[in-house]
Parts: sequence; C-alpha cells; structure tokens
Amino acid sequence: MNNGGKGALRRAGLATTLATAALAAPSAQAGIFGDDFSWDIGGFVRQETAVSTVGIENPNNQGGNFLQNQTATRQAFLPPGLLPGGQLINWGDIPLPYRSDVKRSDFVDSTDNDFNWVVLRGEVELGAKFGEHWDFVARLRALYQPDVYDDFNANSLDGLQGGIDGGDPRLYHGKVNYFDYFTESGKRGNPLEWTGRNYQAYFPAMVLNYRDGGLNVRVGNQTIAWGQSIYLRVFDVPNGIDLRRHLILDRGLEEFSDKRVPMLSARMTYQVTDSILADAYVGKFQPSVFGNPGTPYNVIPVQFTVHDLYEPSLNDTRFSGGMRLKGDYGDWGWQAAYVNRVNPDGVFRWTNSNVEKPLQGGPGSLASLVNTAYAAKLPAAACGANYDPSLCRRYANTGEAIANSPLEASPGGVYSADEWFTYAGHVRLNGVTGLNAAINDFDGSQDLYATPVENYEQAAAQLNTFFIGAGGSLRGHIAREYFREDVIMLGGSYVNSSDNDFLNELIFNLEAQYIPNRTFTATDLGKNFKQTDEYTISLVVDKWHRFFNEFPGTYIVFEALTKNRSDLVGRLLEGYGGTKERAAPGKKGNANYLVLGFLQPWPNKLYELEFATLFDPDGGIFVQPGVRWHPGGDVTVEGFYNYTNGHLWGKKNNNLIDGLDFAQEFTLRLSYQF
Amino acid sequence: MHIRKYDFNYGRRELMKKIAVGAGAGVLMPLHEVIAAGKDISKAYPDELMSIEAITKGKVKTGDYITAANVEHVKDLLDPIVYGQIKDMGRKIKIKATERTPTNLFPGQFYEAMQRNNASGTTAKFNADGNVVTHDNKPWVGGLPFPDPKNGLELQANMAMSWGRGDYNQYAIKETDINPDGNVAYNYDLVWAELQTQARMDGKIFRDMKDLLRFQTVYFTSTADVAGSSFLSTWYYDQRKFPELYGYLPQFKRVRQFPTNQRFEPLIPGVTWFLTDPWAAGDPMLTWGEYKIIERKPMLGAYNTTWSGDRPNWEKPVHGGPKGITFYDTEYELAPEVAILESKPVGYPRAPVGRRLAYVDVRNSLYSGNIRFDRQDKPWVSFETGFGQYVNGSKKVVGADGTTPAYSWIYVMSYDCQNKRMSRAAHAEQCFGGYKSIFNGDHEQMYNKFFTQQALQRLGQV
Repeated sequence: MNNGGKGALRRAGLATTLATAALAAPSAQAGIFGDDFSWDIGGFVRQETAVSTVGIENPNNQGGNFLQNQTATRQAFLPPGLLPGGQLINWGDIPLPYRSDVKRSDFVDSTDNDFNWVVLRGEVELGAKFGEHWDFVARLRALYQPDVYDDFNANSLDGLQGGIDGGDPRLYHGKVNYFDYFTESGKRGNPLEWTGRNYQAYFPAMVLNYRDGGLNVRVGNQTIAWGQSIYLRVFDVPNGIDLRRHLILDRGLEEFSDKRVPMLSARMTYQVTDSILADAYVGKFQPSVFGNPGTPYNVIPVQFTVHDLYEPSLNDTRFSGGMRLKGDYGDWGWQAAYVNRVNPDGVFRWTNSNVEKPLQGGPGSLASLVNTAYAAKLPAAACGANYDPSLCRRYANTGEAIANSPLEASPGGVYSADEWFTYAGHVRLNGVTGLNAAINDFDGSQDLYATPVENYEQAAAQLNTFFIGAGGSLRGHIAREYFREDVIMLGGSYVNSSDNDFLNELIFNLEAQYIPNRTFTATDLGKNFKQTDEYTISLVVDKWHRFFNEFPGTYIVFEALTKNRSDLVGRLLEGYGGTKERAAPGKKGNANYLVLGFLQPWPNKLYELEFATLFDPDGGIFVQPGVRWHPGGDVTVEGFYNYTNGHLWGKKNNNLIDGLDFAQEFTLRLSYQF
Repeated sequence: MHIRKYDFNYGRRELMKKIAVGAGAGVLMPLHEVIAAGKDISKAYPDELMSIEAITKGKVKTGDYITAANVEHVKDLLDPIVYGQIKDMGRKIKIKATERTPTNLFPGQFYEAMQRNNASGTTAKFNADGNVVTHDNKPWVGGLPFPDPKNGLELQANMAMSWGRGDYNQYAIKETDINPDGNVAYNYDLVWAELQTQARMDGKIFRDMKDLLRFQTVYFTSTADVAGSSFLSTWYYDQRKFPELYGYLPQFKRVRQFPTNQRFEPLIPGVTWFLTDPWAAGDPMLTWGEYKIIERKPMLGAYNTTWSGDRPNWEKPVHGGPKGITFYDTEYELAPEVAILESKPVGYPRAPVGRRLAYVDVRNSLYSGNIRFDRQDKPWVSFETGFGQYVNGSKKVVGADGTTPAYSWIYVMSYDCQNKRMSRAAHAEQCFGGYKSIFNGDHEQMYNKFFTQQALQRLGQV
C-alpha cells in the first residue's frame, strides 16, 4: 500500500495498529509513545554472479595450485642432524638414493570453474521509532550459496597418506564449507550469526539508539566507519573485515559496506560545538574473517591448516575502543583519533600440528628408514643433560615427533621445495627463515633430524628430503593470534577555491595513522612475531567536474597512500619478492598505492558509469569499470569487470596485485528492492 | 452591477509600461501598499486582471477545467510547457477564483514580520558585496526584503532569503518518477528540512551563527537502495559562496564532505530536478546573475492552489499522460501580475543550463512556473510548484504561529520536456520512516536532529 502499490508493511501511518501488533499490548503500549511510534521495513533480494574471464583457478585452493601441472624433481639428502653434533655436513652435501619427480595433479585433482561467484543475497531492514528519543534498527543479511562449483573435497585424498587429519573436520575433512566460521575451540566466531555450509544469515546491525540534544548513543551489534579515505583504511579501524564472500572485489564505490565485521559495542557521538563532533566507541573485539579453505576467494593457501585462537565467549574481556574528534571550519577541517584495540586481522605463527601420524612408506622407503633411525635413538631421558638430537629422541616415535612440529604428514600439502618457495613468495613469507622457524621453535622438528639452514639451496635440499620422507606432502599448521595495539590518527581537510574551474572545489584530505610497536606476522612465521612501528599516510582529493553539457558532472576521487612496514593487507614488506628460485629479499622503501575512481551518471541518472583502479607503482594494477542501470520498477542491474595485472613490470611478488590473476571476472548483479 | 472603469486592455498596457520604467507592482495603486494595509488586492488591479471570465471575455469561468478543447482561449496566460501539457498530454486544470486577501498569500508569521518592518521603517538594500542587508547594514531580519520589487535582483532576493518563509520547515515528500511511456519508474520518500539561522521571523540569529543563512538537509527514507542517504547543506549568508555539503551515503557508512559546486546533477536515479531548481532559488543568489524581469502580465498558475488536506496523506489524485498518472489534479488561478524573471548561471561556466525563467506572482513573490533552458536555449525542465494555504473546508494545518493556516508549497511537477519524463512530488502529511511535515519545532531540537554531522550519521542506514 505504498505509493508504488506494494510494501504492505511500510506504513508508518498505521502507527496505532502496528503498535498494537508489534507490542501485543494495544492501548497501554501505544499510549506510551502516542503518535510518535512508527516502524517500517524494507530490503532487497539480489542475484550475484561472477564469471571468470581468464579460466584461472584460485591458486590458494587445491585445484588451482601454481604447481598443479608442473613436474618438480625431489632429491633426498643425508640430514646433517643424523650425525652427532649436526654440523659436520650441510644439507645437500650427500645425496641419498631417493629421488623422484612429482607432479601435484597426480595426487590432487585440478578444478575447472567458469563461475567464481554465484550467490543469492537478501537483506531486510526493520526500523522502529519510539517517541522522540528512542529508535531500534535491525538489518538482517542472508546469503545462499548453491553447489555450482567444481571444487575440492578432502575425502578424495583419503587414500593418500591416510588422508587429511588436522584441523577442524568441518573445514578441512570433507566438502568445502562456504560460510561457517569456527575457532580453535570449535565455537562459532561471530555473535548474531547463523551459518551452514551453504548459507549465512546474520545481523550486520541490530542497535538501540538513544538521542537527546547533541548526544546520540547507539548500543548493539554495529559497524563504525571513520575517515574520508574510501577503500584505503586509515581512520577506518574500528571493525575487522569479513572476506568470506566476494573478497574485496565488489563495486569499488561500495567500499567495505558489507565487509565490516559487526561488533557488539556501544557508540556515543556528541556534537560538542557547532563545529566539533566527538565520536567514541567501546566494543567486544571481533576479528576479521577469512574465507574457508577451498572457497572461491580463499586467501590462505590450503597447504596450511589454520588454528584460530580467537575465543568467542562472551566472557572474553578483550575490548576495543577509541575516540575521534572532528572539527570543521568552513574550508578547513581536522580530525584526531585514538584507538586502543585488539588488531582484528590477527597474526600467524607456526604451531604444533598435534597430528600424530608416523611417516608412511613401505620397506626400503625413506620414511621407513627415518622411522627406524628414529626408533634407534635413545630416549631423551636417558641422554639427560647431554641431549643431542642426532642420538636422542624426545618422543616415542616419529608420529609423536611430527605432532610436536608444525607439520602434518598428510596429502594436499606441499609436495616439493619448488612449491614451498613458490607459495612462500606468493604469501610474502621467507622460505628459508620460515623453514628455520619451523625447526627452531619446535622440539619435534629438531628431533626428526631437521636442522636450520643458511641458504636457499640447503633449505631446498632439506625440504625435498622431508617431502620424500613424508611419502607425499607435508601440511603446515599455523596459529592465528590477536594482539593489542594503540592507533593514533590525525587528519586535515581543505576545500580549494579557484577561478580555474577544474581546480575549484577540490577537497583535499590528508590522513595519517601511527601504530607504535605493532605486532606483525613474521616472515618466518616465528613464534616471536615481528614488532615494529608503522605509519600510514593517505591523501584524498575529491572533485565534481562537468565535462559534457549533455551529461551530469563526473565525480572523481584520487587517493594516494604510503605505508612503511606492511602492504595494504598487512603483510610485511620484508616478505616481498620471494619466488620459486629464491627466498624473499624484501621490498626497499615504502609500499605505495594510487587510487583513481570516477562516477559518470547519465542524464536522469538512469545509467551510471563507474571506474575504479588501484595501482601499485611496483608493477600491479587492479581496474574495475562498471555500469549501473536503473530500469525502474524497483530493479537495479549492475555489471562490472575486474581486471588484475601483477606483472606490469618489476620483480615477481613485489607488488600487492601479483597473485590475484584468478580474480579477473565479470560480475552481474540483479537486484529487486521492496 | 459592477461598472467597468477602464477599457479591456488597460491593465496589460500598464504592466508593459512598468517594465520600461522599472516601476513596482500594482496598476491602480502600489500593490505593496494594498498588502501592507491588508486590503483587497483588487484595489491594485482592474477587473480584467482579477477575473478569468473578464480576461477571456467569458470563454472560461471560475470552476471550469482547462483542457485541450479550450486551452487556446488561455494560451497567452500559460507558460509554454503547461500549455503543451494540456494540449498534447491530456492534462486538465481547474480554474479557481483569484485570491484577494493579502493574509492568505503568506505564512502568518512572515506577513507579521513584513508588517513589523513596515512599522519600524526597516527596509532592505544590497551591500557592496551584493548581499541583502537592512538599510543600516545589518543582516536581514525576516519577511520580504523587497515588498515592492522593482527589478529582477530584488525579486530573486525575495525568493532566496527565506525559502519556506518560516524559521523551521520540515517537508515529508513522496516523489514519483514517470517514464516517457507513462509508467511509474521510481517511487521515493524523502524528508526536506530547513532551518534559518538569519532572516528569521523572530529577528534573532540562531546560535549566533552570523556568517550563515540556513541549514538544509535532504534525507531519503525509501526506496531501499537510497534509504539512509542524506545531504546537509550549510548556507552562508554571503550569497557569493557555495554552501558546504556533507553527505552520508549508505555504502560509505560515514559522513563525508562532498564538492558542492555542481548544482545541476540528479541526486537519485530517475529524477528530473536538480538542486538548482527548488524555490527557483536553489543556488546561492549571487552565483547566478543577469537577473531581469522581461515581462509583466497576468497569468494562470498554481498560485494559491488548493491543498488536498481532505485526502489521505494530503496526496492529490492524478490524471493525464499515456497511462493516466502523469499529472496531479491541480487548480490554477489568474494572478493579476506575474513577473517573468530571467536569470543566468553566470557562476557556473560549465552549467548545462543557459537560463531560467521564473513566473513570479508579485503579490507574494512566489513562482509557479519555473523553466530552465539548455545551452541551446531549448526548454528543458519545467519545475512547476503549487503554493497555497493549508486549508480545505474544515481541514486546516496551522503554521509556525500556531493560529493562522500554514502557507507552503503543495506539490511539484518537474517535467523534462526533452526526455518526456515527469517527477512529481507531493508535500505529504508523512512519508516512509514515520517523518511528518511540520511548520514549527523546537529549533535546538531540530538542529540536533537534522543539521549536524552527528545527525547525518544517526539518520544514515546502519
């Protein structure tokens, strides 16, 4: 019964009737709020489909592995740790009669997907106002993911190395799980969220709002966005990001609108003066969420098993909070903020696999040899203070030793040194020091004749020896932890006036963020992480400019950002540049990014041409042209193409985009709103 | 029996003469004196300018409908786009009697402010910067600055200094956009709120904001894709300066500052109006120029049109167009003296607009017809606005003074005659989200509710 003839629940005008229905206490309840009670409901359903235009599978998944169809030669060597003292020889000095060529697709099926993303989404927002001061808003978002992908099923590897044993069975042992977020404790990570393998429903917002004069208090599950930068997050720190859905590949101008992870929190804004706004929040820390293994946009290579140590219990006393002051004085403005938070992105380190599975191999195999040699060692108790891993063992057998290392002798892991280094470079880690940390930080590794190495060649020799010894591949286990940090932010804005039409009404925003002693994932995945100061500075320039008489003005936004320690997604720059042939040399200088976006509406705004690009001067570019069409009748059609190229120039794995080739796709979204 | 004192074309001739000499309104006597005295408007005009029967020599009478069948009789009394709508698109318009009572042409408080200015000898002038100030160089105090506008700039100032002619106005708006085929393309609900900081009826400066003229917020409550979008414009008193513009877009989840010099863009899909259109003064007055009254003549228009307070949510019935839903049912009256005000967007070198013609009723300095032309001087959009008293039979909505009827805009029909698209907007009792139209309110409360960045953040979709 709206002016379009539908949306029967829309009527604020039915206040009394609806108050009756909603509150189930007709006269008494309606009387409390009188005519000031009203409620409304609206929403949309949307089909989202992304078609791959390059036929490249996600390399982070089993079927799209970079090495899937490449043959790698593996040669085993005599472990230096087999000899007392462990330092008489180096890895690679003495070959053993174990050599094999391995091609990953001989173990793991390749996949071939035409569609990167096929989802039906619905969102409903209910708003209710109670008098002049109170209102309530709840937004429900639901997605259904049909089984349309040619994806991986871990059960297909059950016949190899005894199958995959480690990790949460719901995520690692069967079909791909698209939406569940389970932490190490087995609990669900997000409150007010209901998920299954194929569906997700949650409340990105469920808040009670109180307003009185210049004071506004909002309590509930909510997201908070700060700052003028779009896409580049400088002030935008209160919430983590949910990467389970379409990664960050949706329309650029939507920014992180459906990506921020809602947080149970209280937010207070207060208009201190006509020019100064104070904005503060405190909330229960809620981590960013990564896609599960095997999902279309998974970003963590599936050779890893992740143990997320976030404790979702409501008893978790870890809170994040902060305050921002924002002042505007005509053409000038400023903002300053301080946030003390648990970094929602978390950091990773090697962790015990706790998968007790001995090396498997028939008689005469390297596995058999190692098992025998290990069993022959003296128990550590017998060695006493003279423990030498060449002669002594801490564990009963190799299975127990492996359980006390970050490795798991199971299929679907890393099969060769080539793969190890390829993926170390891909995720911006150091393949040599990463191996050393997996040894130095774990008794089980040392007990199994693993010894630290000095260079790429020694690392490759040791790795291939262990892969052969494992009887196939080794899976890596990593823990995700979260650390508190202080975030200090300052910003200024200026609106330029000029007689030159193009320079007139340019809005400049400079934003800076400083985090002292920030904890990063170390490039070796070591247990001590990496702690260092980081700064981020961005400059944003907005502009409307009319280029054509026949078309409305074009909205243009230009952004530049620099970071001194990590890239846009938080990976240390010292992990940049690794390849199959070398460990990461690191990136010199800062990570720099440029963003250019524009929006060109058609007359009457029936069509909108959109363009967004993210450019990494070290040879990467992400370009997104798109069209939005409003044919009327509550229908919206959106189409956009994502082009990625991380190989424009420069060294491999030396820019942000390298590794995102699979994300080249055309996305079509059809929405119907009600 | 009424004795005709003047020949039939006397009034029109006199109006034409006034263009040449820059005289004020009124033929028989100065109109502003009649209005100040609260006398019948007919004291200022001869019969043929006050009566549709007289001016059409009986071919059209009060209560008649103007349709394609008889529109030729009043062709020269209509703006060209309305004429075309009637002739070719099935529009029909009912003729009502010309309003003669001055107090029925203004909000009560606004009329009172004018009387106060008269009594105190407060007059307006333009200062060296071109802004309106009082005779003693103070910011304008409310009411029409130029009750007897003699030129285009004065007439424009009358429309620009206080849009809604109240210190606070909140309009619940239901907008429908019609495709060229006559079908509904979009329905939107929005709230438009204005708070004057100066040129106020109470003569005060709100919160001592001496450099500002007003705040204005537009807030979309439906449909879902635009719900929560809001834009706050902070207008400087200095009409040479662009307003500051802050907006909340649902996809950004936060308030951002936006460039404000582009006033010729559709805010949402399907609409034909731009920010420049409302009040025939949507941009700072001095960013336009070459204001010129090019003609004074009697015209038919939605001057003092009829409020549909007797209908649900105050929404008018519709008719006409390919599917019978393009036009509101409206009533026009013969305004004895309409100044056709031409102006040009001189401060916008890239504007797609070449000029604007506003058809302004000099009785109260309010327009009904408002046509913008493209750069090739072809008519583009007619932003027709019907103003009137909020009285209909026993139904009445009081204005800010709490006693006299509100006087405000009642509807807008923004017709893009080049693309055949219609955007019609009803000033409704309430819109989606439970927002009601009001003509008064606690100004501090409303300031916090709509006109701060915190307010935008709160209003925005969560």
